Amino acid sequence: MKRAKSPVSITAELKAFLESGASVLVGTRDSGLVPEITRAWGPRVSRDRRSISLCIAVASGGRTLDNVRDNGRVAATFALPTNYKAVQLWGRCIETTQPNRQDLFAIQEHRDLFAHLNEGIGVPRPFVEGLWQRELTESPVMVKIRFVVEQVFDQTPGPDAGSRL
Amino acid sequence: MSESFAPTVPLESIGSCFEGILPASVCSCSREGMPNLTALSIVHRLDGNHVGLSFQFFNKTRKNIQENPRTQVVVVSPETADQYRLDLQYLRTETEGPAFDRMKIRLDAVASQSGMSHVFKLRGVDIYEVLDCRPVSSEIRAETARKTEQLRELESFTEQLDACEDLDSLLSTALEALSALFGHQHSFVMFPDEAGKRLYTGVSHGFEHSGVGSEVFIGEGMFGIAAQRHSVVRITNLTRDMLLARAIRSGIERRGEEGMLEKEIALPGLPNVQSQLVLPLLARKKLLGLLCLQSETPGRFLESDERVMRITARHLAASMANAMRAVPAEHKVVPVHSGQGALSTICSVVKHYKSDDSIFVDDMYLIKGIPGRLFWKLLQAFVGSGRAAFTNKEIRLDASLGLPDIKDNLETRLILLRRRLDERCEFMRLIPAGRGRLHLEVHRGLTLEELS
Repeated sequence: MKRAKSPVSITAELKAFLESGASVLVGTRDSGLVPEITRAWGPRVSRDRRSISLCIAVASGGRTLDNVRDNGRVAATFALPTNYKAVQLWGRCIETTQPNRQDLFAIQEHRDLFAHLNEGIGVPRPFVEGLWQRELTESPVMVKIRFVVEQVFDQTPGPDAGSRL
Repeated sequence: MSESFAPTVPLESIGSCFEGILPASVCSCSREGMPNLTALSIVHRLDGNHVGLSFQFFNKTRKNIQENPRTQVVVVSPETADQYRLDLQYLRTETEGPAFDRMKIRLDAVASQSGMSHVFKLRGVDIYEVLDCRPVSSEIRAETARKTEQLRELESFTEQLDACEDLDSLLSTALEALSALFGHQHSFVMFPDEAGKRLYTGVSHGFEHSGVGSEVFIGEGMFGIAAQRHSVVRITNLTRDMLLARAIRSGIERRGEEGMLEKEIALPGLPNVQSQLVLPLLARKKLLGLLCLQSETPGRFLESDERVMRITARHLAASMANAMRAVPAEHKVVPVHSGQGALSTICSVVKHYKSDDSIFVDDMYLIKGIPGRLFWKLLQAFVGSGRAAFTNKEIRLDASLGLPDIKDNLETRLILLRRRLDERCEFMRLIPAGRGRLHLEVHRGLTLEELS
């Protein structure tokens, strides 16, 4: 079995980007290597800059939560809708817990920033709100996952897409 | 070949998710078990059980699908923001065929418009079998896509075109009918020039400034590509396409590889265009022009709209070919003289620059090139002998004009000239008098000056 890679330290510049209102998607896989995508909210970089937490709706992220509990492998992309600047983090999940008050605040702040950025390119706020409202009507429960970051990639479309940062 | 299986949500019921209006995402997984996420600008629905993803760059997704064919895509409905997960199995990569051609024309058109034809290259289309399509939230109920056959509107459109007697009225009627019957409020028709190098706007509908006379090069940009390849170009979210193109452009500039880039081309038409449908007007494989529809709403022209507009474009092209072929019955031209209308006491100066056949009226630019040369000839006859009635046939046969072989293009040149006069000159008009005749109406005294 491969040894876990050592964690990467998240720079101040990268932290600012990750928490700037980007669209966040999480990719995981099950034991049969079948992938699963889900949307995540409220990214928070830890104080030691080694890990990041994200919140996932139980209503839409059931398989994702099963997957991270099963094998811990996480890929997460952060993409700004306004200029397509994007970053992908690869890491290993170390915790799944209930979100605390700061996490719930981060979710709300993230959704506001994301909606504001989309409004800037002509996407109306009620439309953007649709991305999370359906899952809230089914179940308001969110689960926080926290993962250590092992690799960071530039995911902005172009010649450097996929290169390590 | 595997047996077809009906997905939980039929792909045809969420057709707008496959139009490239909103981005999608794909997650693949390596042999070692590391998932990888990438954004997609469009997922192409090929049939009820297959989708195609464009393959442009060698990247992690590419490597992963060779190792592990299972992938997942999430698409978003542009109407409701509902999200759907598609569980996929990679089958093969195609480098030719209808799906490849369709994707290539769209990619090439955006690449050319954004000055990156050397950067965007479609290497292939990765074909995936859809194992299932599920709503991300169980609250989502996909509704059956609206039917847009629009037979009644098509019937009315063809009826209205059939009643037109000449090319000018045919084109005006067509654009008005596209607005009234189908709600396509902003449209224009471009014609190829004699040399086959440029397209110029001849007729437009629904714009604050008509744009008549504006030109683009054949082979460049969305219009130029559609004309060169005789293909439909449909864009569903231009803001997003251009943001994506600019992101790639910045990356290339950062690497100091500006040599790969060309100039971004400005689009004619609406300043805030979001959706665009460009249809070649073809008669027996010959390009007569382009029908261009624009909208400020993303996703205005869907696949179903394209299908209907293909029919209208075909009918319009056939009607244009008929109108251009129609040889008017021989008849004597009754000379109409300027004395018939009341001339104002005001005089205007019309200048003709021989170098490019440009015409200026009281130092205001009117037109150039072949229509400029034609107009100068008509003005000389008008001022010299007071003649105001002309026939298309005599213009065509007039060797002194030194015109290229413009048999088919004369009508379109005259339409352009007529529209420019309507827009830019309040005292001269060129009026179609039916059966290939023209009447020049001038309400001022004229002084003509020829310059080199």
